[in-house]
Amino acid sequence: MSTDVAGTPTQKGPPTDTVADLFGPLRQQLLDAATEFADGPNALAEIMTGMVDDVDRALREELEIFPVCHHSPASGLAMVRRLREKQPKVIYLELCEDLRPLLDELRNCRLPVALQAYAANLDGFPPQWGPLSVVAPITEASAEYQAISYALDTPGVELVLVDRSADHVFQWLPREPESKSDAADGDPDSPSEDAPKEDPANEEAALHGDAVGIEIGDLRPRFAELEEHLLHHGKVRHWSEWWDQYVEQPLAGADYDTYRQAMVLIGSLFRRLSPEDAARLARDEDRERYMWTRMREHLGISGVDPSECLYVCGAFHAASRVAEFGLSGSTDYEVSARSGTEWLYGLIPSSHSAIERQFGLAGGSVSIAGATWTKALTRSGLTPYQLEGQKGSRKRSKRTKALPAAPAAAPVADRLTGFLSKPPMLDGIDEEELLGWCVDIVRLARRNGYLSSTADAIAVFETSILLAGMRNRARPTPYDFQDAAVTCIEKDKVPGRRDVRRLCEILMGGDKIGQVGYEALPPLARDVYDRLAPLGLDLEKRTLQRALLDLTANPELVPCSDLLWVLRYLLPEGAFRPIMGARRLGERSTQESWDLAVGQNQRTIIELGYEGITVEQVLEQRLRRKVWAPNATASMALAAVEDSLLYLRNPRFTDELGDRAVELLAAERTVDDAPEVLRRIRRLLAHYRATQPQLPGWCEAFVKAGYAHYCTLLPMAFVDEHIGVRQVGAMLGFLFTLESLALALGCDHAQLELAVQQSHPEAPAKVALLWVARSQLGLLTLADLRARCDEMLGNPLVVPAFPQYLSGFVQALESVPTLAPFVVETMSKAFARLPDRVLLPWLPTLITTLRSQAGELVPVLVREAGRTFPGTLSAVDAWAPPWTGRAVPAKPAAAVAVAAGPVAELLVGHPATCDAVAELLGCDGEWRPVGGVPAGDEYREVSGLLAEHPATAEAVAGLLDPAVAG
Amino acid sequence: MTNEMLRAPAEVKYAEELDWLESVDDGPKPFSWRLSPRMVRLFILGSERADGLDREISQKWFGDRSFVERAIVTLASDRGLLLIGDPGTGKSWLAELLAAAISRNSTLVVQGTAGTTEDHIKYSWNISMVIGKGQSRESMIPSPIMTAMEQGVIGRFEELTRSTSDVQDALISILSEKYISIPELDNDNTVFAKPGFSIIATANSRDRGVNDLSSALKRRFNFVRIPVVTNKRSEAEIVRFRTVELLRRHQIELDVPPTLLDILLQSFADLRVAAASAKSDDEKLESALSTAEQIGVLEDAILHSQFFGDRTLRAETLANSLVGSLVRRSPEDLAIMNKYLHGVVEPRSKSDGGEWPEFLEGGRQAIATLS
Repeated sequence: MSTDVAGTPTQKGPPTDTVADLFGPLRQQLLDAATEFADGPNALAEIMTGMVDDVDRALREELEIFPVCHHSPASGLAMVRRLREKQPKVIYLELCEDLRPLLDELRNCRLPVALQAYAANLDGFPPQWGPLSVVAPITEASAEYQAISYALDTPGVELVLVDRSADHVFQWLPREPESKSDAADGDPDSPSEDAPKEDPANEEAALHGDAVGIEIGDLRPRFAELEEHLLHHGKVRHWSEWWDQYVEQPLAGADYDTYRQAMVLIGSLFRRLSPEDAARLARDEDRERYMWTRMREHLGISGVDPSECLYVCGAFHAASRVAEFGLSGSTDYEVSARSGTEWLYGLIPSSHSAIERQFGLAGGSVSIAGATWTKALTRSGLTPYQLEGQKGSRKRSKRTKALPAAPAAAPVADRLTGFLSKPPMLDGIDEEELLGWCVDIVRLARRNGYLSSTADAIAVFETSILLAGMRNRARPTPYDFQDAAVTCIEKDKVPGRRDVRRLCEILMGGDKIGQVGYEALPPLARDVYDRLAPLGLDLEKRTLQRALLDLTANPELVPCSDLLWVLRYLLPEGAFRPIMGARRLGERSTQESWDLAVGQNQRTIIELGYEGITVEQVLEQRLRRKVWAPNATASMALAAVEDSLLYLRNPRFTDELGDRAVELLAAERTVDDAPEVLRRIRRLLAHYRATQPQLPGWCEAFVKAGYAHYCTLLPMAFVDEHIGVRQVGAMLGFLFTLESLALALGCDHAQLELAVQQSHPEAPAKVALLWVARSQLGLLTLADLRARCDEMLGNPLVVPAFPQYLSGFVQALESVPTLAPFVVETMSKAFARLPDRVLLPWLPTLITTLRSQAGELVPVLVREAGRTFPGTLSAVDAWAPPWTGRAVPAKPAAAVAVAAGPVAELLVGHPATCDAVAELLGCDGEWRPVGGVPAGDEYREVSGLLAEHPATAEAVAGLLDPAVAG
Repeated sequence: MTNEMLRAPAEVKYAEELDWLESVDDGPKPFSWRLSPRMVRLFILGSERADGLDREISQKWFGDRSFVERAIVTLASDRGLLLIGDPGTGKSWLAELLAAAISRNSTLVVQGTAGTTEDHIKYSWNISMVIGKGQSRESMIPSPIMTAMEQGVIGRFEELTRSTSDVQDALISILSEKYISIPELDNDNTVFAKPGFSIIATANSRDRGVNDLSSALKRRFNFVRIPVVTNKRSEAEIVRFRTVELLRRHQIELDVPPTLLDILLQSFADLRVAAASAKSDDEKLESALSTAEQIGVLEDAILHSQFFGDRTLRAETLANSLVGSLVRRSPEDLAIMNKYLHGVVEPRSKSDGGEWPEFLEGGRQAIATLS
């Protein structure tokens, strides 16, 4: 510790005069040091003496304060010793008070697990914060677990959680949108710099989801510069290492007074050096007020003697300076009421890496702390407290009798001076342990593909000791060992999946993953486990498990299959993955095979439990919520109906969803979803027709409502440029394909006709759609339609827009499948006749449009094309498109007589020229009769003109035949 | 003496510092080391107030403390030290500092090349003497490594992976048996290594696969991987440190404005990001974009402005040097630099101003000249 105190930034100032007392000499010593080192005013002296004052105050407090730090084996050891000695009747613990009932379930779990408070229905919080989740992980090697185990398993001892409730955690957060992320009490800047950037065990590290983490005994410098300074001068790489070297080891064997004083001192140091404006400090002070108020309340009600109580809190809070501190502190603080949010509580599995990630600790530090704890226990011969029947840990030998209660508390002595002035009592080298590590790491490395041998074990051993010596340590810490192993074993490349650093972490205990025991699960999760039992799998395993279900041979597995499908629907992707088998309307597999990751997804299954009692209920709720959401649409409701049919056997509920779909459809003002609606209702109708004697009422209502709805919106949809062709096509599809049903249900065909007649689209694709609609209604013959297309192809002004018409025709296939031959014909003509500059740019568009919007229509087109076009290459030459025959215009019934006149007479009189020209051109024309119509009747204007100005005509005639002119 | 050398080795350059450290060093020293491991670390990483020394020791190598510690500890153990990393990460400089601090001699160096033979590692003969006097210890020319063994000091092997595998393997027996036998001689035919002998080798990770180390040799080396410095702050420190040294060496009095240093660091950082996201080799610069390269660019710019400019470093000159140093292939590298200037520097010069517009202009001119 001396490094740390001496290394703080210093400023000079005259010593403040304080009451001479127990810590008087130390205070004076520090003041002297401050005067010597510093050259600025007051601040340093104030900090130095203030720290001693804080220690003094905490120790004088009538209610015994036990300062702890999270993941500190030293805290745990001191706690065990103190509990055995003091045997308190009441333990106050710095933990959300509303989590208390969960603690009794801890014994059913394999630690580490996290206590969770969860709220999905928010009341009084910004809705975008939801769902709210708070987790408090509990590990076995922690002081709080010792306190909890002692209190729960010793008769007559009461455990009281005194910290603010989960609700207050969020109430006290600033209301900026992004504030939730920095809310973690334990960690202001999570994930911190030294947290592993790429976590190798990502799955485990993500066990807490995005919950806000709370931790007992958070103790870490509050601003980055201080931490950096400490790390730099401590010559260590990360905070966990600093803590281990400068606090943990010196305190491991220390007596209780030294422990307590040193911890409060550190808490006070970090508190005094925390940024002043931090909202976080204000929050912490509020918490302290809260805790002291609660403790006073409890003492008042229960009447327990404060000397029989123990207050376990973070060292940071032990050095508190709020007015409410202490049993004699101010009592003004009013605990604010909770919001109306309904909180649910449960245990979720946690893991060391999840804890490290959540609280920004270095990778492996929690595991190393766990290993240190186990070792310290063996060495000290202490028997830790453990909950009766705690899962997943070694059975402790029969609980030793508690030590006799300590004699009347001896007056507190100043242990701090000694602790600060003496170099830390370092452990001697534990050769056995180090040798064990070296041998193990070499073995582990070999198994992971490294070419390591006994020589490496020796080198690692030697290097560890040398490194420790270089870093001022007599005993190599796990961190030194890790560095040594990397130096000696890691070569230029990592042969397997794990590098040596990771292997060291595994060696030190690896990532421990907790599991919530069956008894501690919420009813839903228990129900899931029960119902999956027939599969005969070990659901506790964290590996992926393959389940094979032969549903014909083992019909008793059908309920399992049903449940799996529901879980697949509810849980995140990949948790339950069908490898074989599908569930669609009208389709049931006889055999299924599943990849189940139940163990890995225990948290999500538990969190489902916050939503209901059974998965079916949760599914019902989710579906119901979905269709009643403000943004629900008819297609979403139809999807919900489909899901309900697939996963729930509850016709009444399905009908309810269907009714909602009708309501939604009738209320919709847009037709964006029309394609989806059409697809889904068709499928549902087909399903009902196949499985039930008659359609459910809502289906009929839906068709009726849909018919009326789309008829009404059709004219608008045709002209609105924001509505795509596809939507209009789908509307027409609905109207035409479901028309017979709609008419049978009492709809009026006239409505559709009117709607079509009122439609006046301008966009070419929609015009094409309208033509098809009209032809379907008999308002336009197919021949007319064809003629219009031909006309367009012949008109150079319209040709560029022709592809758009064609798109419209393709979309129309949805509603009028019989149009396929016509579409093929038109398309072929387009390919044949469109100029390249129009055709080529359009082709990609056509293909992508067909792919994305009309995938199901393409087979129809292709089939039709196959029918139309010749099948072999040789047939192509002889092939004439079927439509060309039809396209030849009918011969006029009789040749129209040509008007008589000078020109006609001239030509008839000298046919040789015309015949020769015709022959040259390859026409075998024939001469039409002349004189049928009196000249001038047909071309009155022309003949009038010629009659009035005959000179030109006569001159021409004269030129042609001087005889006539003459 | 330093003045007469273009580049003095570390033990000469820091002789006075080393003497002083030796005089105050009371820590245990392994073998024949001149300094204790902690003092070696202090010499390399510089002193702090908390070390309680009477004088300040400057930092000479910038990088993670644990790399240095691991390197020192390796040399105190039975194994050789192999520093591996990208070109320009300071491997050789660290090796030189270590050798200087530990044995006051960093010049026993074998440079690994494709032409390195076993003779370069062990010994060769002075032919005329052999003809004249026959084979004897006198007519033998010991290699630097053999000299290091005889003196019990650190020998260095630069670019180990550039030499062929059979030559590399000559080191195996040196590192494990710690002696070299000379079968040509009848007596006095073994050179035993004195305590304190060890080898620091460096290898370029870009050369991996050219001449792979045999696993037997790998086993005798501890690998310390030196990463490319990507932390902008330490990189700035390195560049500043080396530049000051360079200026002193060339006896140039010229200021490097901090804004220009920032521009240099920023442009390298940008180019590294671009290189990291490139999909093929054609899309990234051939240069490794190491810190050493930055120093090279800066040196080039400084020399240019000293001798051809008006003795002030300008953004334009810097851009010119940057383009000139980084463009090695045409047209690939040119295209990349062009893209960088237009895609990154141009918007930045518009938004940030400062020296960037001038930098952009200089870059454009340089590219125009080259293409």
